[in-house]
Amino acid sequence: MTTQILFIVWRESVEALLVIGILNAWITHNAAYSAGRRYLWGGVLAGLAVAVVLAYGLLEASAVMSGESLEYFQTALVLAAAGLIVQMVFWMRKHGRQLKRELQHGVESAAQTGRWWTVTVLAAIAVAREGSETVVFLYGMFAAGPGVSTTTVALASAAGFALALLTYAVLQLGGRVLSWRLFFSVTEALLLLLACALVTTGVGNLASLGLIPYMEPVWDTSFLIDDMSRIGGIIASLTGYRAMPDPATVLVWVVYWGGVALLFRLGRSRGKVSEAAPATAASQ
Amino acid sequence: MTHPLRISGSAISGLLAAALFGAALVAPLPAAADEMKTFDMELKDGVITPQKLEVEAGTTFKIIVRNTGTTAAEFESLRLRKEKVVGPGVTSFVVIRRLSPGTYKFYDEFHMDMESANGVIIAK
Repeated sequence: MTTQILFIVWRESVEALLVIGILNAWITHNAAYSAGRRYLWGGVLAGLAVAVVLAYGLLEASAVMSGESLEYFQTALVLAAAGLIVQMVFWMRKHGRQLKRELQHGVESAAQTGRWWTVTVLAAIAVAREGSETVVFLYGMFAAGPGVSTTTVALASAAGFALALLTYAVLQLGGRVLSWRLFFSVTEALLLLLACALVTTGVGNLASLGLIPYMEPVWDTSFLIDDMSRIGGIIASLTGYRAMPDPATVLVWVVYWGGVALLFRLGRSRGKVSEAAPATAASQ
Repeated sequence: MTHPLRISGSAISGLLAAALFGAALVAPLPAAADEMKTFDMELKDGVITPQKLEVEAGTTFKIIVRNTGTTAAEFESLRLRKEKVVGPGVTSFVVIRRLSPGTYKFYDEFHMDMESANGVIIAK
């Protein structure tokens, strides 16, 4: 029982803390980004508020929550979050290169403010998605009555959350200790994998909602990693891994990673152009 | 140099807002409940009854999920792409559409350390 509580709380919070931790480390790294911190934590608070509202709906079993509209809502959330993550990653890549120049010019463009709202929305979605489930889960545990000791629940959930916080702390430390290039590459990869997981889930939801058909799995790798096991489930939710993917899932992976590769390529050639012609780039 | 990603920033935010509001406003779909075969499933603090459902492949069916326990439950199956949190005392449902023949595992994720929290749907 205790392990189960610890595990659920850890699992449900680690994804959000990963997103928040990486964004915060990126913001901390550059003085020019310090304005972004407000937007980030504003998003976290907004996400918590949404989580509580969603949880209330789930507990009250409101018609909206038990129907399929919730599933449509969640699908919209994951797909939006995936898009925002990819956008954020490539903005950071490009910006990291230009930052020095912009700092020298002392400009904080208006476009930047718009960008920070992306951070807010991203943090809010990350917290709201898993947060509502944690609230319902814990509410159930605390309300369970004499069978379950309140102290046990409180301790186990605190331990689970502390474990997840450790992820956050490691990210902050990594941002300071590791070389920035290495840290950025690693965290960028983590976020791109997470976005892949979100798109995979989102498109899976479309099948669940009947918008695209369920199809036969193309292959079965459950003997390697079973996505319905504990570890496999975590890997699936952080990377988009599926043991028995159907053609739609495989197509999502191909299109997603193909698109990411293309953006990398575009970014690289653009980077070269702007390095070769700094005057043009600075006059934007 | 104008970057396409920058232009799309506000467009994406706009779309996002529209999507959120749209999704929030969609009324629960009046799923054609009359023609749909319905199964009852009870989740009770980690005990799922029944643990085996046999369905006809290619049909659409509905599972009424009743949480009769005192703790929350989550009906989950990656292969069915379903994830449904059900608070204690709450009744909800999932609609599963046109499965191809096969065995689909599911479990109550909030109690997945219990053997009785696992089940299968067999589509024939």
